[in-house]
Amino acid sequence: MVAETARAFAALERQAQVLMSRFIAAGHEAVSPAAIQPARYFLDVVGESLRARTYVFTDPDGDELCLRPDLTVPTCRLYLERDADAQLPAKYCYNGAAYRFQPQGGDSTHPREFRQAGIENFGDPAREAAEAETVALILDALRAAGLKGEQLRIGDLGLFRALLKSVDMPERWRQLLMHRFWRPDAFRAELKRLVSGANQSIDAQRRALIETLDNTDRDAAQTQVAAYLDAEGIELTGTRSLAEITESLLWLAADAKAAPLSAATAALIDSYVSIRGPALEAASQLKAIAGRSGTDMSRAVETYEQRLTLLSATGVNLKDAEFSAEFGRNLEYYTGFVFEVVLPKLGRASPVAGGGRYDRLLRQVGAPRDVPAVGAAIHTERLLAAINGDGDAT
Amino acid sequence: MSKLILAVPSKGRLMEQCADLFTRAGLSLRKVGHVRGYRGEIAEMPEVEVAFISASEIATYLKDGRVHLGITGEDLVREQMSDAATRVVLERKLGFGHADVVVAVPACWIDVRTMAELDEVSAAFRREHGRPLRVATKYLNITRQFFTAKGLSNYRIVESLGATEGTPAAGTAELIVDITSTGETLRANGLRILDDGVILKSQANLVASNVATWSADVTAVRQAILARLR
Repeated sequence: MVAETARAFAALERQAQVLMSRFIAAGHEAVSPAAIQPARYFLDVVGESLRARTYVFTDPDGDELCLRPDLTVPTCRLYLERDADAQLPAKYCYNGAAYRFQPQGGDSTHPREFRQAGIENFGDPAREAAEAETVALILDALRAAGLKGEQLRIGDLGLFRALLKSVDMPERWRQLLMHRFWRPDAFRAELKRLVSGANQSIDAQRRALIETLDNTDRDAAQTQVAAYLDAEGIELTGTRSLAEITESLLWLAADAKAAPLSAATAALIDSYVSIRGPALEAASQLKAIAGRSGTDMSRAVETYEQRLTLLSATGVNLKDAEFSAEFGRNLEYYTGFVFEVVLPKLGRASPVAGGGRYDRLLRQVGAPRDVPAVGAAIHTERLLAAINGDGDAT
Repeated sequence: MSKLILAVPSKGRLMEQCADLFTRAGLSLRKVGHVRGYRGEIAEMPEVEVAFISASEIATYLKDGRVHLGITGEDLVREQMSDAATRVVLERKLGFGHADVVVAVPACWIDVRTMAELDEVSAAFRREHGRPLRVATKYLNITRQFFTAKGLSNYRIVESLGATEGTPAAGTAELIVDITSTGETLRANGLRILDDGVILKSQANLVASNVATWSADVTAVRQAILARLR
């Protein structure tokens, strides 16, 4: 890893002051959440894969801690320390180090220790307005720091959720598709499975049991499963109960009996997922899809358009902005609108800033209910490199 | 002239199999000095220094470049190096030390035959128990990589350094990732391998370290050893 020079340090400090002063002027309170965090909050939100890119360690008391991989979760926790019931809205900003494991020890665009400057907005019920405000403030701060030639990419996970709601299929399939949306390959495979008849994937050995299960009478079904285990000489062990196993077999049974997903519906979903292009033109493609689905989708498309209008009103130039239906797939805690600021010379793998809506995160770290939340962070080393023109080398 | 350092398991069946391997290649592997010592030589190749090292540590020696060549399981190489492809070269599969790294669940989970079904159950389990599924294993990195590739995120790893196959029945984990050669121990503990749950078919390999110092002399010895083990 390249050692930080005194000059780079001074330049980063100056840049941070510019960014923070814009955030503070816009009404965000500057905070400094703890760098060392209990690992469980991150593990609960992100899952075990977090460990593959986070410094997780055990302290002398045996507690599992980590060096924060980003500042959003720590800022959520700071908010709840001040206001445990999340009753009052709050707007925060920060500039501080985040730490991520990099297999090769890191390089200048993917360092293992980097500084994030960002904003979070908790509890604002005017969702689209808060989202537009967030994008506008990040772009304003980037320009104040001296950035030019950036491109805005946007996505909206709410559109996909609404599309699934608008088309006819069992509720469980919606959950499955939503869950698999994060991984394009698994998603396509799942869609194909549902079209070809979900029961095709059930092996012959279990089919006999599954097809006879009585899904109107849970107790009877449980007795059937117990008898099957007995006959096969399988002992019931472990922490999952017979009831849980039966319940999950009943899902498989329901799948086996359900009519396959219609090819037209699958094609509609496919056509949505493949939308990618200028954000302003995407609206008409989205409307066409809404016309072939239902009211939930129509409402989500209206929300999309309203957000574009609000973005324009705050001065964001949407001419070069890109919308991608798939964007947001690989971002763990976002629930709706997502955005990234990219530079041609750094490429899409290294956005200079990014953020979005994460309405379920506060509850996951301890709030008594879901709280509307939107935020974004700037990768300050990348920003400095881009402004200095070092980005070309990487 | 500097010597090529070759790491060989220091005891047990693996050490015997390594000795057999060299014997078949017409090379005699033997200890130097005390019979319980950790240094050895190959009589026919004086430019080789043999280091007898605990089987579980050879991968670490290769990773740091403290030895040039080593005989160790592919499972340990994959587990101990997140960047195995840049750190080492797997030169030869040696045909012994066979062990599969597998995902195994209680046999009574007749609703779970594949990783995709495990994924579905993981969400239901979390709703029902208020915590994620626990996976007992000593293969933290291999497990994470495989589960990530299969799209599973709703689980928690519980590190287990022994008797892993007993953890589901004991209630300290729901499922395991472990090595098995015949599957007998798994069956005896009421566990079943998922249909697509074989993560790695491992065996002993002759492994070369890319980060060790390779002088022209030492490189020549490497070629000589590889030629003999063909």
